[in-house]
Amino acid sequence: MSEIKALEHATLKVPYEILNKRFRNAQKAIDREVDQVMSSSRQVEKALDGEQPPILSDVTKLMGNVAQKLQVLKRKADESINDELSVTQICKRKLDHLKGIMPASSTTGIVWHGSVDQWKRTRLDRLVIEHLLRMGYYETAEELAARSDVRHLTNLDIFQTSREVEDDLANHSTTKCVLWCIDNKSKLRKINSTIEFSLRVQEFVELVRQNKRYDAVKHSRRYFPAYEKTQLNEICHVMALLAYPTDTELEHCKKYLDPKRWQQLVLDFRHENYRLFQLSTTSVFSAAMQAGLSALKTPQCYTQTCRNLNCPVCQEDLNRIALKLPYSHCVQSRLICRVTGLPLNEHNQPMMLPNGQIFGQLALTEITKEDGTVTCPITNTKFTNPKIEKVFVM
Amino acid sequence: MDNDACASVEKELDRVVTKLEQLYETSTAEIGDIASLMSELVKVLNKAENEMVTTLNTSTQMNAPANVDDPMGDGVSMQVETEPAEPQRLTERQIEIIREALSKCNERVQKLSTEHRDLHGAVSKIGKAIDRNFSADFSSTMRVDVLQEEDNLMLVNKAIAKHYCRQGMDSVARTLIKECNMAEDNAQDVFDSEREFAEIYSIWLQIQKRYLREALEWTIRHSEQLLERHSIIEFRLHRMRFMQLVSQGVGSQNEAIMYARTNFKKFAVRYEHEIANLMASFIYLPGGLENSPYKHFLEQEMWTELSFIFLKDACQLLGISKNSALSVVINAGCTALPALLNIKQVMQSRQVLGMWNGCDELPIEIDLQPEFRFHSIFACPILRQQTSEDNPPKKLTCGHVISNDALHKLSNGHILKCPYCPVEQNSEEAVRIYF
Repeated sequence: MSEIKALEHATLKVPYEILNKRFRNAQKAIDREVDQVMSSSRQVEKALDGEQPPILSDVTKLMGNVAQKLQVLKRKADESINDELSVTQICKRKLDHLKGIMPASSTTGIVWHGSVDQWKRTRLDRLVIEHLLRMGYYETAEELAARSDVRHLTNLDIFQTSREVEDDLANHSTTKCVLWCIDNKSKLRKINSTIEFSLRVQEFVELVRQNKRYDAVKHSRRYFPAYEKTQLNEICHVMALLAYPTDTELEHCKKYLDPKRWQQLVLDFRHENYRLFQLSTTSVFSAAMQAGLSALKTPQCYTQTCRNLNCPVCQEDLNRIALKLPYSHCVQSRLICRVTGLPLNEHNQPMMLPNGQIFGQLALTEITKEDGTVTCPITNTKFTNPKIEKVFVM
Repeated sequence: MDNDACASVEKELDRVVTKLEQLYETSTAEIGDIASLMSELVKVLNKAENEMVTTLNTSTQMNAPANVDDPMGDGVSMQVETEPAEPQRLTERQIEIIREALSKCNERVQKLSTEHRDLHGAVSKIGKAIDRNFSADFSSTMRVDVLQEEDNLMLVNKAIAKHYCRQGMDSVARTLIKECNMAEDNAQDVFDSEREFAEIYSIWLQIQKRYLREALEWTIRHSEQLLERHSIIEFRLHRMRFMQLVSQGVGSQNEAIMYARTNFKKFAVRYEHEIANLMASFIYLPGGLENSPYKHFLEQEMWTELSFIFLKDACQLLGISKNSALSVVINAGCTALPALLNIKQVMQSRQVLGMWNGCDELPIEIDLQPEFRFHSIFACPILRQQTSEDNPPKKLTCGHVISNDALHKLSNGHILKCPYCPVEQNSEEAVRIYF
């Protein structure tokens, strides 16, 4: 499986879901206007079908109506279709970016390493931005997207909507989230989301908290019956709040009155938003981070003497993150000289100092002084004219 | 294979785009036609009405509305106070025309609606193509808990901040530090760690923007060290500068020649052929470099490539890593994930948790680029296992290396025959070695 196939599902799926939604909205808008045209044209027909020949001025008026409705339809249809086309352009741009991982020079067919590197840089920016967004660091994400000019390749827009909803929830208001639920009603139903119910419960709780119990009852009558089939148990529990004071010590009531429920709602909402766009619950960034740390992690990273400053896992911070991750697996030896960083092979034979330390042939000149003494760079032991043996690694 | 996946999605996408465009061009254009036809009709009806009113009580010898072409001055819209005794009624012919227009209108609007609805299949095909060609779920390839601990998340933030600090985007790092409430000492650490790289990075950016002055100054400062390392960067930079001058056309010709005379001298031996080649570019100058065999020097890829060679060589010279820790890890991860996904099934059939223990190993070897290899790993050629503290590598007297476990398995008493050569030896004489 290639990198693109493994990692870029969300890159394409999110704009697709947006396209799909726009398509539905467009269909709805068009159908609505078509209905309008049809019904006004039916009125004309009705007038024409009368027993007596219809009155000219009446028909003119009705026809004027039809013409006007048609104009509206034309405008709406144009708008909707342009809207859809603009989303397809977003998909297209992302596809073009993905195809760029192996850019063949247009004239010569040479693969430029610089370009591949550049592409990977852009990918890193994209992944980081997604991670930042998921963590709720919106400003950083915005700034990074602007600075590295990758906004068109990210899903910033959908997170922007969710940011507004989240801010609203954090301010203990359900308005925007309810609107969001209505906006995505059919899709949410399809994924069996209970987020709207949670919101309604929270609204109910708030009414109880403000001691507007009568309003709370009205609220429950209005919204809870829809969830009767699936959430009856919870509805009963919530309704029990009516019977107790707001400072009750009863566990199952207290938990509803806990202000922390709002934070939970924020998280729930975030999660539902991911599901809506078929984003997986963890970001590609964190998966890549773990896989990468594992792939680089060796037992040497956790020893005092064998650390390599260029190795990310040897660096203090990442070292701690990688602690619980598995080591890389290796069935074929791959040896690297600790002095030169070059691979040990037939061009750079592994050589052993008397203390058992192995270095590449090319490194020997670096650690040998003019008088013939060799200093082992690992143990700092000095050897005068030591016997340096070749070793053979299969 | 990448392109296959993208291409199949693109195919579906293009199909939708074409259909949408068609819809836009034909159906809504048709709606537009019918709308203007209707408006026209209404206008005619209006006119007819006015006419009726003006020619009060004359017999209603009305033509079909479409045929009314009486030149109508503005003055016709005279106010008629007297109410007509009998409201005007439509003639059979008029009714017929209106009916015709209406049925046409109904037919067309419905056609728009159905044609748009018919797009649904094509649209959802895009989604299916994406699902088919791209993998949506990689939860099986990771431990869920590792990146959920607060501490670790903060460490990740720090790595991200460092990475952008290194790239000269201090402000991004600062915003992040503020937004995630990073502790003071950690934040300081971020800014301290990547200073060295900053100069290199800014030069790197300049090269990409086609400014070479600072890069040339830097390489001239480090000329000797670069030469020692057989670095090509200095010549490449001069070459680019030269071509840049040449590309400015005949006017800069003298400057270019001067430049070549001052700067190419020290490369004369090493790049003799190349220099000759470069000088030949003057031949094409009158026709414009963009129409010559040298046109590739004008492409952005050339500059990107140059900037990366500079980055690589400069970092190597300074002994600092050319990539930030974050980018190494993520890029290694991006290589590893597809491989891990491939063996997803295997991982699921085994116990997933056991797979991801800290002391465990990944189930497969990840084939990373050589530049991502930082440590020697010795895998015993006999047992096909990595060596460890408990099972260290040993060098036999003949020079072959095997693991301690293999040594014990192969030795008969104290006698061991090397599995690779005919030498028989005392197994006690094998030496512990360190890579």
